[in-house]
Amino acid sequence: MSPAALEITSIGKTFGGVTALDAVTLRVQAGTVHCVLGENGAGKTTLCDLVYGNYRPDTGSMTLYGEPYAPARPAEALAAGVAMVHQHFSLVPTMTVAENLMLGDGLRLRLPRRRLEARLAAIAESYDLRVEPDTVVADLPVGIRQQVEIIKCLVRDPRLLLLDEPTGVLAPAEIDALLTTCRRIAAAGKAVVLVTHKLGEVAAAGDAATVLRNGRVAGGGPLSKLPTRELVSLMVARSPATLDPLLAASLGLAPADLETTVPSIRLSPQDRRKKAALRLSGVTVVRGDGTTALDGVSLTVAPGEIVGIAGVEGNGQSELAAVLGGALPVAAGTIEVGGADLTQAPPRRRTEAGLGVIPEDRLLDGCLPGMTVADNLCLGRLSEFRRFGLLNRRAMDRAATAVLTDYAVRAAGPRAPLRSLSGGNQQRVVLARELALDPLVCLLAAQPTRGLDIGAVDAIVGRLRAAAAHGAGILVISSELSELLALSARVYVCYRGRLLGPVDSDSPTARDDLGRLMSGTDS
Amino acid sequence: MSAVVDLLAGGVTMAVPVLVAASGELVSERTGILNLSLEGMVLTSAFAAVYGSGQTDSPVLGTLCGVLAGLVFAGGQAVLSVTVRANQMIVGIAANTLALGITSYGSRVLLGDAQGRTVPGFQPLKVPLLHDIPVLRQSGLAYVALALVVVLGVLGSRRTGLGLALDAVGADAAVADQAGLPVRAVRYGAVLTTGLMAGLAGAQLALSEVHAFTDNMTSGLGYLAIVAVIAGRWRMVPMMLACLFFGVAQALQFTAPAMGVNLPVAILVVSPYLIALLAVSGLAGRSRAPAALAVPFVRKG
Repeated sequence: MSPAALEITSIGKTFGGVTALDAVTLRVQAGTVHCVLGENGAGKTTLCDLVYGNYRPDTGSMTLYGEPYAPARPAEALAAGVAMVHQHFSLVPTMTVAENLMLGDGLRLRLPRRRLEARLAAIAESYDLRVEPDTVVADLPVGIRQQVEIIKCLVRDPRLLLLDEPTGVLAPAEIDALLTTCRRIAAAGKAVVLVTHKLGEVAAAGDAATVLRNGRVAGGGPLSKLPTRELVSLMVARSPATLDPLLAASLGLAPADLETTVPSIRLSPQDRRKKAALRLSGVTVVRGDGTTALDGVSLTVAPGEIVGIAGVEGNGQSELAAVLGGALPVAAGTIEVGGADLTQAPPRRRTEAGLGVIPEDRLLDGCLPGMTVADNLCLGRLSEFRRFGLLNRRAMDRAATAVLTDYAVRAAGPRAPLRSLSGGNQQRVVLARELALDPLVCLLAAQPTRGLDIGAVDAIVGRLRAAAAHGAGILVISSELSELLALSARVYVCYRGRLLGPVDSDSPTARDDLGRLMSGTDS
Repeated sequence: MSAVVDLLAGGVTMAVPVLVAASGELVSERTGILNLSLEGMVLTSAFAAVYGSGQTDSPVLGTLCGVLAGLVFAGGQAVLSVTVRANQMIVGIAANTLALGITSYGSRVLLGDAQGRTVPGFQPLKVPLLHDIPVLRQSGLAYVALALVVVLGVLGSRRTGLGLALDAVGADAAVADQAGLPVRAVRYGAVLTTGLMAGLAGAQLALSEVHAFTDNMTSGLGYLAIVAVIAGRWRMVPMMLACLFFGVAQALQFTAPAMGVNLPVAILVVSPYLIALLAVSGLAGRSRAPAALAVPFVRKG
């Protein structure tokens, strides 16, 4: 038997006392697509980083096509024939495609333009991937950028290609194309490692899979012997039958795979005609460079209703969240919350009117990571904790402790810096703060489950549903289509700054309809 | 007519050290390292060049001393900016204050009686035809330094792998690292290039133009060079024009009276800095600074 393309033997890595990987063993055959599965935080990205030379393992060893392999830096991994597509884009946006593709050639004086053209022609021939080399990367749509990332790897003719969650920012059709490309690369005799947490992608493209859970190998093998149900229980250590449909959705399983129905709150037309929790009329936002980020967006969220907004990133969802929070000025149109006009209102007045906002980037816009949990929870309503003109720290701690217990936040205490909490626990704190608004008329949750593990997704979603049941209107912006379908009754799509839809999430063709709207093939 | 020629000739002479220093700084800023210490680098180099020239009676050896001082200074800046990842603004301000103090003190200790006195320097080259054109009447050192500026401009352009690497490291060091580029080596090389050019600029100022060292003799030349980089929007040719413009503005204070313009001297002295300020504030909104300027790099983990 020929040696495996990549053999990882009992590799381990700890970061400051936290074990990221523990005795992980993995064997990838040339000519196959090997999927590495796991929840967020299971150690998938750390594994990629070890193979690509970003870190060195604490224990264990690797071989590449039978030879000992221990890269100290990415340059060494590239020299050994290993290439990686990163979770986040790794192209220089101000450069052209060709310039980006030639970067890896190091500090040479002459640029190998001829050779690049020949390679691009060969890649177009064998993988059906084509790019315009003289376009500036910043001008390309995300789907094409992802193709450039893959071409950037293929230009070097690697023996092993790592893809770390490459589909996060892609529309459904683009995901299919990417998976097809993976198959073609494997068919050309190369080894492909596809890291993902979506089971649908595994079924579509994989030959074999390894499931990671809490940094350990939970199981794996050829996919012919591993049905989807088995993979689910390996990933989350629960039987799929007991899985909430929404959790299943966050794994990329269609509800049909689990034969359960989605409970969601539906409103009669009369209910909708009551005073809207949130009403946007013709909201237009212009970016600093004069381009239009949002183009006449109109939308109504009734009290008690959960409305979803889908879309490929960069189509205006971020701006929609920012304009609601008061971080961006409105060029035209109006924003009303509970009947009050907040179009020009500063954030403080929005809060008073009952508009809660969970921003897209919680660490950057949603909280102060360097301050304590109590500070973060109470900062917006310090007047409640004033005594003789000074802050009553004890009262703040008591209030914070109550929230920590209520929301099952794992933290050292109310005085722990927010930064010391895990992503899921930070999100619970931000959510708790916004849900504590009194009255809560409308809540905007932008990417509320991004980067969270299943337990945290479960808790966050439960809270959102409870808030809706208490009469708040909830607007959820997410790039996870399955989550939106499971959570909301109506789903709109942001496409190039315009709001398309809505699609009724009960409709049997909802997923396909949304996919078409997201990629702009149906307008 | 002759006043205009004088103005241009004086402007070019004033512009040469600014341009030489700015071209080195441009390389460094494109990789994301801001050397606010450029002022101190040029001042220290000028001092070292005068001391070396006075000791050896050879302006060439003096120039080498100046370049060496620039490289040592830049080496320290590189260690602090790249390896230690210190705040580049703070390091720059501290380094400039230090350089001013050390050179002022050093000139009293080392130059002693020779303080402010003329040392062997360079004379304008006597090249047959060039010598007749006042604007081009420059020293050999100036020509060597300007040739290096051109070499830097060509090697660092986007048409070479080197130039691409500079811009990639300055745009996003993490991306460059993942593409296999040696980020730290590129940044060290760029800062040392700044040191080399600052050394030549200091030697040019002290040995070709003044032939002596006086306290704080650069008086903002290094800062002007940094402003020229910004005003030129991190591109070679616009930066050269900015340097020339600043040079002419500086020469104005000497030639304006001869041209019959009666402005208070104070206004003429301050004018290049005022113009620089306007240039930067007017361009700030649309400037295209390297995205990772003054952002230190460390591989995640």
